[in-house]
Amino acid sequence: MAEGLEVLLLDDEPIVGKRLKPALAKIGCNVEVFEDPKKALERIDQKEFDIVVTDIRMDEVDGLQVLEHVRQSSERTKVIMITGYAMMAVAREAMEKGAFDFIAKPFKPDDLRKVIAKAAKALGSNIQFEISETDGP
Amino acid sequence: MSIILISSDHYETGRAVAQQVAEATGYAFLDREILGEVASASQIPEPKIRKSLERSSSTVGFPAKVRNRALASIQAAAMARLLDDKVVCHGLAAHLYVLGVSHVLKIRILCKEEERVSLITAERKVGIEKARKIIKKQEAADKRWSLDLFGRDETNPSQYDMVISLSQIETDEAVNAIVETVSYRKFQSMTYSIKCLRDKELSIRVKLALMEKYNDVDVTADGTTVVVRTKALRREKRKKTESIRAVAGQIPGVSYVEVHMVKDIFRQAAESA
Repeated sequence: MAEGLEVLLLDDEPIVGKRLKPALAKIGCNVEVFEDPKKALERIDQKEFDIVVTDIRMDEVDGLQVLEHVRQSSERTKVIMITGYAMMAVAREAMEKGAFDFIAKPFKPDDLRKVIAKAAKALGSNIQFEISETDGP
Repeated sequence: MSIILISSDHYETGRAVAQQVAEATGYAFLDREILGEVASASQIPEPKIRKSLERSSSTVGFPAKVRNRALASIQAAAMARLLDDKVVCHGLAAHLYVLGVSHVLKIRILCKEEERVSLITAERKVGIEKARKIIKKQEAADKRWSLDLFGRDETNPSQYDMVISLSQIETDEAVNAIVETVSYRKFQSMTYSIKCLRDKELSIRVKLALMEKYNDVDVTADGTTVVVRTKALRREKRKKTESIRAVAGQIPGVSYVEVHMVKDIFRQAAESA
């Protein structure tokens, strides 16, 4: 299990947080869910999360802005982008701006858990989740 | 990790650059050496497989059905190798079918025109003006070939991430520029881009299997779900759907097959005439 990996999950669709929070809690993550990006940014300013999972397309503040905000406040935090409107140009932009990974919706909770496990490994944390070497970056 | 696709207006020039890039990056080098294997797997003679990649070759004695299957076989073999990642690929037209994958860096190398002219004058024993005309003709053939078979103009610079003219930049400098560019984070693989590549690899494997029977199928994949689009007459719709499901369903990696059939209006019109 992860040793208290602190995760912020931001998606303006309530169902995403509802489904993913327990899925990530199962592998030991402490998950804070936000639907309002502004509130999420405020929380990011207050606390350094290990991982931020954010949707890209949201009203007012988009995921790329969240990514930039996190990058300014913490070098260490891994940002995972999720989107239902995945396109090559957006994926490249997100990576260039420092995203750890990029996942297209719909995905299975296991897909996100794999990426979280990789991010945990990159942070030097131990998370018990089987990752295939060919599954991602 | 990344994949580098190199195309050129002159095969040997593009190959030389691709080889140097592979050496500099430590990536695997993929070119027409695989065509022998492709020929054995597809049971299409190797000269025909090679001919399918030649832009200016005559189509006489080379039926579209065979040519399309040859190209799909090359595509399937190339895609399977690209899944390994860290590959420099040249000479297999991959720049025309590996689309929308963010960790694929596409490069177009333009050969020095004087060099092409002198090669043609020496090979064909023609004058400089004639050689220039031949080059123009070849460029038109490249454009036509890529548009006809893949719906994309390979001579259009906007198809690439980077276009390098060797008239202005030395080969070593070009290699260095490519090596530096591929190190950018935007060209690194991610869960989404790896999935895109896997989906494309699966769709071409399914298409190839279906081409044994049907030459007019369009296949897309999303994870383990495959969508096949094709045409049929009303009376053959059910049988064709079942047949496609049976063939595609047996391909490793496929769990669900969706078949979208549209009315074959040309055949229907021909039959009712």
